Amino acid sequence: MEAWALEVRAPRGPLSLVLRRASGGRIYRDALSLEQEHALIAEAHRSGVKVPRPYGFLPDLLGHDAFLMERLHGETVGRRIVRLPELATARTLLPVQMAEELARIHALDPARLGFLPGSGGGSSAQRATDGLVAQVDSVGEPHPAIELGIAWLRNHLRDTGPAVVVHGDFRIGNLMVGPDGLAGVLDWEFARIGDALEDLAWPSVKAWRFGMDHLRLGGIAADERALVDRYSDLTGRKVDPADFHAYELLGNVRWAVGSLQQAQRHLRGEEKSVELAILGRLACEIEHEILTLLETR
Amino acid sequence: MPDRPTALELLEAVRGFLDTEVAKGTSDPRLRFRALVAANALSIAARELALDETSSSAEARTLRELLGEAPSGAPPADEARALSSELCRRIRAGTAPRETVAAVRRIVEGKLAAASPRYLSGKR
Repeated sequence: MEAWALEVRAPRGPLSLVLRRASGGRIYRDALSLEQEHALIAEAHRSGVKVPRPYGFLPDLLGHDAFLMERLHGETVGRRIVRLPELATARTLLPVQMAEELARIHALDPARLGFLPGSGGGSSAQRATDGLVAQVDSVGEPHPAIELGIAWLRNHLRDTGPAVVVHGDFRIGNLMVGPDGLAGVLDWEFARIGDALEDLAWPSVKAWRFGMDHLRLGGIAADERALVDRYSDLTGRKVDPADFHAYELLGNVRWAVGSLQQAQRHLRGEEKSVELAILGRLACEIEHEILTLLETR
Repeated sequence: MPDRPTALELLEAVRGFLDTEVAKGTSDPRLRFRALVAANALSIAARELALDETSSSAEARTLRELLGEAPSGAPPADEARALSSELCRRIRAGTAPRETVAAVRRIVEGKLAAASPRYLSGKR
């Protein structure tokens, strides 16, 4: 994937845009196409979600598809968002703002987004655990810690309400953050139909605390309470702490398996990269977290 | 016997080059980050060279005791892999021994000793 910053001279004045363009590398099997991602961002924008304003899909830009969107300003790098002194106020605002955006995202009409994975109905929780088993099998290495996590999820992960449109990668690092907090929700390619708690618990996954481990919510807040309370106020959806724990474990198992898959992309020559390669060896950090969560259930 | 520098010393030489000359010598933040990731990868490889036989043997022994198996006579890494696959099958079948979580924790801590020793020391 390529990303270009464009400064456009338009009749009504200058426009700052981002061009995202496929670069020919293999796309993740379960990710949306650029055309679908653009359609989703357009629908989210229409529905009042804080997203970059879309400026059109280009099916063939010099041989690859692409789309244009507004360029937002702020910080996206997780390690900086959790540390920069000038974002201290933003960090206090973010939990409530994240809840507000999630409430809007989960209210999107799935009928208008029929291309999203999981649209066929059925149990989201079942689909999540079945998907993990298939992914672990595709890696082809024995990982007992991950198997223990999946076995526990089979018995404890449940659908906590009607399935909704979930962002699928809603966390620090995929949010544009400015001095006033959340400026935009980015990176929609893993959106799907799923359980609301998949999004609510994902920012608490250990990897997305960026080293600020004592701040369990994304390295920005001591816990998820402000996020969950605001979300419940807005949606009327109560969140059982046991379910939250189960979905936090799901998130960690997903990221452990995801790390192994990323390393496989390097090992199979699909995308040679030392950054992908090392994830295969850092997966044991996540395995350790999975075991800790299993022991504190 | 190979001449010096040994494999470990070569890894350390390249790690130092990436860390001091490439990462600290560049103004390109992407290159700097990748150079540091690459240096960390070599650190893992170096720790593993120092630990390898003992850590695979320890993993195989933990798994043998957990699963009640006799030593297979295979090289430790192969034996550990085969026993680990067997344990995964039993976890999926719901027939894993009760002490599995504790045993798997010991094995994961062994992996962390090579891959991320700071992670463990931060925990303790």
